[in-house]
Amino acid sequence: MITFDKITKKFPLGNLALDNISFEIEDNEFIFLVGPSGAGKTSIIKLILREVSPSSGSILVDDFDITDKKFTDTVNLRRNIGTVFQDFKVLADKNIFENISIALKVTGIHHHDIKNKVKEVLKLVGLEDKDKYFPVQLSAGELQRVAIARAIIGDRKIILADEPTGNLDPKTSWDIMKIFKRLEGKKTIIIATHNIDIVNSFQKRVIMLKHGKITKDLRKGGYEI
Amino acid sequence: MREIISSIKRTPYQSLTAFLVLLLTLFLSLILFVSLSFINSGLSYLETRPQVTIYFQTKTPENDIFKVRDELSASGKVSSIKYISQKEAFNIYKDMNKDNPLLLEMVTSDILPPSLEVYAKKPSFLPEIAEFLNKQNGVDEVQYQKDVIDRLLTLTGILRKGSYIFFAYLILMSIVVLTTTFLFKIALKKDEIELLQLIGASKKYIRAPYIKEGLFLGNLAATISFVTLMGIILFISPFLFSYLSGITRLTFNISSFEIIVWPLNPIFFAIVYVISLFFGSAISYTSSLIATNKYLKV
Repeated sequence: MITFDKITKKFPLGNLALDNISFEIEDNEFIFLVGPSGAGKTSIIKLILREVSPSSGSILVDDFDITDKKFTDTVNLRRNIGTVFQDFKVLADKNIFENISIALKVTGIHHHDIKNKVKEVLKLVGLEDKDKYFPVQLSAGELQRVAIARAIIGDRKIILADEPTGNLDPKTSWDIMKIFKRLEGKKTIIIATHNIDIVNSFQKRVIMLKHGKITKDLRKGGYEI
Repeated sequence: MREIISSIKRTPYQSLTAFLVLLLTLFLSLILFVSLSFINSGLSYLETRPQVTIYFQTKTPENDIFKVRDELSASGKVSSIKYISQKEAFNIYKDMNKDNPLLLEMVTSDILPPSLEVYAKKPSFLPEIAEFLNKQNGVDEVQYQKDVIDRLLTLTGILRKGSYIFFAYLILMSIVVLTTTFLFKIALKKDEIELLQLIGASKKYIRAPYIKEGLFLGNLAATISFVTLMGIILFISPFLFSYLSGITRLTFNISSFEIIVWPLNPIFFAIVYVISLFFGSAISYTSSLIATNKYLKV
């Protein structure tokens, strides 16, 4: 369970990214964060990942206050979170197998298990025959699949996806979303997106943000600007 | 190992810079260490030689020499005195020149002077002993080595201090250059480090490849420095054998262990190799640790 309690995030130059927001996300919930650019979607993802700290308020992840200065287990927190980044963050000098396996290697999993798990996840994202390819040989959609594969591999309980379909054409976007759909109910999935069609068709919980505030928290989707 | 080779291939110039700096540092340090070992053991050797040697005229009666010996013994300033007769001196001469028959033919025991080898209880007694001996009848020459030892001690002290400063400078320079080189390497992998942090890699995991590469380069540089030094020592060994021909053994002590430096001894060189491995590893480990720390503020 993830709990945001009166979170405010101000950046050093005074920009207010989040303004006293509170919400709760249950385990294995599927949730969309929507809103215009600068609404605070990415800030929420970065806060959960402990990439940035809030200016005030607290965030609980599985009852651990990750905003507490005494919280030192960032490594384990992140090992429970799979993140799909807006810019993919796929490493150019590593092949697809290596790019995905890195998420398991950091947790110390044995090489043999890594091989099998990467094969499974490559199949899930439809890249089973491209494990030896390098990123430069793949399309944007395929790179996004690699990023998703890396995020969902292993036992990561929470999946954060920041604009996973942002740079993709409609058909590829749907293919990507189908991968998330398959994980529904197995992991907590938080997707920040602009894509109205996708949000409406999924009919999942939607948190709408504007100027760092929650404007709506709808249990069944529907994205209106 | 494959990861290390691959990392070196990806940034060959940075790796080469790191390697060359380590090689230079370790090679110079090894030369310093071996030279100081020889100088220190040489000094210890000199200190064990007779501090005052008195050569008597060849026709001095033995009784006169014994009288001088007994007077010196009674003074309480001498720890031991050894009498070397003409016959004994000739035997020593024969032993020293056994490979040179021409020199043996030219010398007989008659022309070698009898002598007394005097070991003082304290170095401060030496001038007094030398003065007493110079006044005795039949004394041909008094060889007094205090000055030589004092000068050598001063020289060794300066060399030792100079070496420490030079060694510290070499280490510092290596760490600075290596840290900068590793920073370049890490800067090229900044994105990867950022990603690794975000997916839950521990600091140890992120540092590991840089530390492994550093240790590999450090050990390689240490081994090549050592092999080069051994090559040089083997090359100059005929000169060393001839130069140190009269010296049977040079040693120095580490704690209670006596290390033999001369004749060339495998244990001494094993110690030299271990020391070079230690410093190669320590320098590269410290540098990679400093460099990675800069990028590991989670």
